[in-house]
Amino acid sequence: MSRNGMAIEANDLMKVYSRGSERIPAVNGVSLEIQKGDFISIIGPSGSGKTTLINLLGCLDNPTSGELRLGGRPIFGQGKRLSERELTQIRREIFGYIFQNFYLIPTLTVMENVILPLTFYLKPGTDEEAAKLLRLLGMDHRKDHLPGQISGGEMQRVAIARAMVNRPEILLADEPTGNLDTKRSGEIVEVLQGLNRNEGLTLIMVTHNQELARHANRMFEMKDGQIGQIT
Amino acid sequence: MITKIQVAYKNLLRKRVRSLLTLVGIALSSWVLVSLLGFNNGYKTALSKDIDNMGFQLMIMAKGCPYEAATMMLKGGTGLKYMKESIIGEVAKEPEVEKTTPILMAAAFDPNKGESGGVAVYFGVDPKTFSEMKPFFKFRKGAWFREENAYEAVMGYEAAELEQREVGDMILIPGKNVQFKVVGILERTGTQDDGTIFVPLKTAQKVFGKPDEITTLGIKVKKGVDSARLEERLYQLQDVQVVSMAQVKDTIMKLISTAKVMVLSIALIAILIAMVGVINTILTSVWERFQEIGILKTIGAMPWDIFKLIWIETLILCTTGGVLGVILALILARVTDVVIRSVLPYAPGGGLVLIDLELVLITLAGIMGIGLVSGIYPAWKAGRIRPLEAIRGEASR
Amino acid sequence: MFSSVKTIIIVVLLLVLGGSPEAWGAVGCDLNDPDRDVARLFPGSTGYKTVYVSIDRKGGEPLLAKVETRLGDKFHGIYETIDVPYTIYEIFADKKKIGYIHGVNQKGQFGGIQVFVALDLEGTIKAFYIQKMTSQYAGKLRDAKFGRQFIGLTLKDFEQYDIISGKASGKVEAIKNPAPEAEADFRAALRATKKNLVLMDEFVYLPQAASSPGGPPKQ
Repeated sequence: MSRNGMAIEANDLMKVYSRGSERIPAVNGVSLEIQKGDFISIIGPSGSGKTTLINLLGCLDNPTSGELRLGGRPIFGQGKRLSERELTQIRREIFGYIFQNFYLIPTLTVMENVILPLTFYLKPGTDEEAAKLLRLLGMDHRKDHLPGQISGGEMQRVAIARAMVNRPEILLADEPTGNLDTKRSGEIVEVLQGLNRNEGLTLIMVTHNQELARHANRMFEMKDGQIGQIT
Repeated sequence: MITKIQVAYKNLLRKRVRSLLTLVGIALSSWVLVSLLGFNNGYKTALSKDIDNMGFQLMIMAKGCPYEAATMMLKGGTGLKYMKESIIGEVAKEPEVEKTTPILMAAAFDPNKGESGGVAVYFGVDPKTFSEMKPFFKFRKGAWFREENAYEAVMGYEAAELEQREVGDMILIPGKNVQFKVVGILERTGTQDDGTIFVPLKTAQKVFGKPDEITTLGIKVKKGVDSARLEERLYQLQDVQVVSMAQVKDTIMKLISTAKVMVLSIALIAILIAMVGVINTILTSVWERFQEIGILKTIGAMPWDIFKLIWIETLILCTTGGVLGVILALILARVTDVVIRSVLPYAPGGGLVLIDLELVLITLAGIMGIGLVSGIYPAWKAGRIRPLEAIRGEASR
Repeated sequence: MFSSVKTIIIVVLLLVLGGSPEAWGAVGCDLNDPDRDVARLFPGSTGYKTVYVSIDRKGGEPLLAKVETRLGDKFHGIYETIDVPYTIYEIFADKKKIGYIHGVNQKGQFGGIQVFVALDLEGTIKAFYIQKMTSQYAGKLRDAKFGRQFIGLTLKDFEQYDIISGKASGKVEAIKNPAPEAEADFRAALRATKKNLVLMDEFVYLPQAASSPGGPPKQ
């Protein structure tokens, strides 16, 4: 990470899809700066392009054009197209992800799910993280259960632990409360807030729930592929 | 830490029935392959043993005569042709010849064996020279007949058992109604001799009306001598065919090699089919898990990691199935023995299915190799799944 | 899942090692072509089940002694031993058992004799069949006319037959020997029949009566 504290710098990002002869710009020239340790939320109706934007910011996809820097390091730009391998390498050093559908591996226990990232990529000193994270997220008592045996809210906590186990710098949350009831939704957002405040985690949350979005430091709204800050 | 192997086999346990069925497919084709290779092994070994146990390396007989007692029984005891006994003298002159023994094969049809009758095979032999050729013959009871004109018989183990004969009992040659006294019963040899009744040559010639005639002359060749030259000279003799045991072995092996090639092809096809089953199973499970696989990529898995995961699943299936098939083959080796014997026209004595460690390792290596190759496509496909496709919930092609 | 795997393994092992009489050592007496022979010897049957027994397994030495006493003769030679397997064919008409077919080996003058009888559920002979015999006169003894003399006879009739002296009484005395030149084989056939009936009584009929309600019948 650079000294200047800028986690993500996006400049005129464009993502255009072709459907037959039609060209659909899902992200239509978005520029954005996110500081280290910031907590931002992005709201907007479905189809506004917020998920596409977070995919670009999170290096899950290549933009059609535009620039992206992570910690001052240029990632996308000058028409460079990164391979899946290169994208994965960048992703696993910097990002953690959680999604609406949790996506836990059903054949592995809670603990095994959390340590699974370590099978593929081991940052030094992360082996003790798993147990610590589970305790932190209050899921320690469920560590030998299977995903099928725990509730939605609990599953999302496990997903968060899994996302955190390799100590990412930035956590991307795409509709993290989409499948949870109001009470659990609130709990999850509190957990995320806690991680942001106490661990210094940079947090980008996409949601269509305005109430929850307000928990962030800064709020953005996305409409027709373009973004505007609301706060 | 959790290893890729653990992740892989836990995933196979997810759909137990499906994994089990695929396993069974591989196990069955592995069993077939191992059994067939074992049979090939065993048959060759047993045949060599059988032929080595005949005692003599060369035989001459009248042209067109069947030289296998088994063949003779198949033909109902017909088709025998005869040579003059004087031929012994001519052959004994040859420098390469160490010993000779004359044999008169005869068959008698017994209508009172079951509903369709049966054929009894008799060998008229010269007890002195014959026993010298077969030093490994052991007597369970009694001994060889001593008089060349005696009405005495020595019975092979199974021939005696079938007729409930002990030394001192009488036997009857059906059709000729001549009685012989049993003076000896042999121990099992594991060859056709077990079902043969031996009588003195001269007596046989008298009873079957073939004075001074024999069907076969067994020849033992001097050690270290080139039997090919002897064979050439023997070919010059009138109206005889020369059969070398090596030739017999070759002929029989050729007979079954065609069958062997055909059956091996079937075994290979079985394996290919099983492999297609494996590819299908893994591909289906990859397709079912594409979301999960995409997510794995978000938690740090490189395409090569995913490839390895899926490849390991394929390997687990193939190895387990292969090993199961080998175990099945070992257990059922005896049953396979019985089945094969009932199908082949000639089967040597002894264990027909010989499965040794080398064979097992080769088969397993082969199956794992084919597994590795067939696992490449699904693993490659899985490696190419992009996290975005998973999140969007779209199926990859 | 594992208990069924264990069962399968045990079944397979039994199949390979246990079941067949070959595993037993001594030589038994089977019908050459059971499908054909059962239909012929037991008209009206629809199927059969094959059961293997031996004196060894059914009662050991005490049973052998009992059989020899009832037979009136000792077991001879190396082929008539305690471990000889006997093949009993249970005969069915649809699901109902209607009788049995059983064969024994007997030493004849010039070869082995195989004597089969077909019995109903009470133990009465319904058919008599010599599958194999080596003799000049085998034809006469294997003729249907000879076999007919046995139909309707039971073990009771044979109880009075003395194997060693050859003295017969009652119905057994009435059995005529069509080949007086083969007296030894004729007597062997009678011994075989008596042995056959005694064994069937010990293997099948007595145990059957003992287990049925009302207990064993009064002898």
